[in-house]
Amino acid sequence: MSEVEIALVGAGRYRWRIEPRPPMRVPGVVFANDALLPQAAGDKALEQVANVATLPGIVRASYAMPDVHWGYGFPIGGVAATDVERGGVVSPGGVGFDISCGVRLLAAGVSRDELDPERIGRLMDLLDRTVPRGLGRGGLWQLSGPEELDELLLGGARYAVDHGHGVPRDLERCEDRGVLAGAAPGEVSTRAVERGLQQVGSLGSANHFLEVQAVDRVHDARTAAAFGLRPGQVCVMIHCGSRGLGHQICTDHVRTMDRELHRHGIELPDRQLACTPVDSPRGRAYLGAMTAAANYGRANRQLLSEAARRAFATALGVGLELVYDVSHNLAKLETHEVDGEPRTLCVHRKGATRALPPGDPDLPADLAEAGQPVLVPGTMGTASYVMVGLPGNEAFRSACHGAGRVLSRHQALRTVRGERLKGELEARGIAVRPASWRALAEETPQAYKDVDAVAAVTEAAGLARQVARLVPLGVCKG
Amino acid sequence: MREASLVDGHEPAGRSASGHRSVPHTADLRIEAWAPTAEGCIGELVHALVGSFADLADARIVGERGCTVLAASDPDLLAGVLEEVVYRMDVDGELPVAVAVGPIEGLDGARRVTVRFRMADAATAALVGAVPKAVSLHDLDLSAGPDGWTCRVTVDV
Repeated sequence: MSEVEIALVGAGRYRWRIEPRPPMRVPGVVFANDALLPQAAGDKALEQVANVATLPGIVRASYAMPDVHWGYGFPIGGVAATDVERGGVVSPGGVGFDISCGVRLLAAGVSRDELDPERIGRLMDLLDRTVPRGLGRGGLWQLSGPEELDELLLGGARYAVDHGHGVPRDLERCEDRGVLAGAAPGEVSTRAVERGLQQVGSLGSANHFLEVQAVDRVHDARTAAAFGLRPGQVCVMIHCGSRGLGHQICTDHVRTMDRELHRHGIELPDRQLACTPVDSPRGRAYLGAMTAAANYGRANRQLLSEAARRAFATALGVGLELVYDVSHNLAKLETHEVDGEPRTLCVHRKGATRALPPGDPDLPADLAEAGQPVLVPGTMGTASYVMVGLPGNEAFRSACHGAGRVLSRHQALRTVRGERLKGELEARGIAVRPASWRALAEETPQAYKDVDAVAAVTEAAGLARQVARLVPLGVCKG
Repeated sequence: MREASLVDGHEPAGRSASGHRSVPHTADLRIEAWAPTAEGCIGELVHALVGSFADLADARIVGERGCTVLAASDPDLLAGVLEEVVYRMDVDGELPVAVAVGPIEGLDGARRVTVRFRMADAATAALVGAVPKAVSLHDLDLSAGPDGWTCRVTVDV
């Protein structure tokens, strides 16, 4: 479909539709205002929304969140659900290379007005020294070998907490209580194990970060209080995933499915959409390996939380309470109503966050009334959001996952130098600790959409509601 | 074998017989290369990949490494060589300062190439960009044209 021109038709408030034309099986639906629609010449995000609509077994629509941008295979910010009992497929590209990449937010026992630049600087120096990131610096947890890694792949954040890296309450505030059932370490290749062994407790690079933030504005005081947030509160936001292990698992399974497409008579417009029926040995093997990587990602964020807690205790003498931990690159088997009947669907969220509404039985008891926190990191120079799931979300209870890039890394480098960007941010009171100048410039706030607009459109489109806006005080960039 | 130095690599001002460049992609790294031979194209892309995030000018050389990559097609062979670079970086902490590729051979309907890397200790490299983690099949290409071979790849960073 690479030469097909994509025609968008207005279909409701902040809702656009791509009419289904063969080989699309369902329409595309994009939640955006005019400014948030992908517009750059050559940008293939909308074409990718249409391509995803060709997947066997896809139901309702191929969705794009307000932060949608050009990926490979799936767009980033894409949601697609396939009907498992009706030949629905699972596509590793619909999860992404960085399986269970996600966001964790912790709230500190200190307010912004209790901190001065010197104390923040001391805290950031400590985080800078202790949070592994960038190239070749290993991880915080030296596992004894592949056997222990298998235990971690089965146990996720719970395994980390059981071994002293956190407290039991942390698990109550993690999606799936920190461990996703059904992991199959036997489906994880030797190469993936080798890559994963040395990286537990590391950020990675590119758009991954650990940020110290403050609650700038509360939109919904009651929900914010249920989440454990109040105006002025200092927080820590961590964005990272399953590192080399997750990337290798995705690589391995995409390659295998790409070779076997003909066996299932599947034709695709993009090789990175390689897929296989969920209900098949290959589909189950991928989901088992994906689940193992998801557990690795949760353990990884658990270890980074421990490093942040140590730094806060040492520099400020305060603790950190987990607000929530949620993935935005994952496929899950969920029950949703389709055409009036409950169906088991494989819901792919590639750069999209699950957003459970108040009352959902999967919520922890203390969030049942409030709903699920939806964590939306913005940029190091603007803001991030905490939102909450809403009832009636047509995109299988999914919402945005960030601001969404508009500039390529190359274009970003042409807008600003890293040294200058650091100076500009520090002049605004944001302490910056980059892994490299160029990597910092590639992540300039100008490279992203307006996160305030993304949050507002996400709310107006009925996907999630704004609870709190957070602003950066200090940034450790990967 | 054709050996390409990976130190001080830059895109030539004009279109020379071989070279590489990055092209816009909003999230990740999209790179293209051209060369008189398929093997030369693969070497150029290794050059482009490493140069996108690591400056090896002062890196400590640790030795020569070899590997054989098997794939179903020439484009997949290209992806396989780049994946080898990412794998060795993650597992051994090594990055290639030079690479010798080829020749590509047919093998029972598959493609095979032997690659030799001159490796540096990644810990002694200067980080200058987002670190690559995987190679996607999206619009992956390595093919011959009237002016030699061209290739392109999208790399997850």
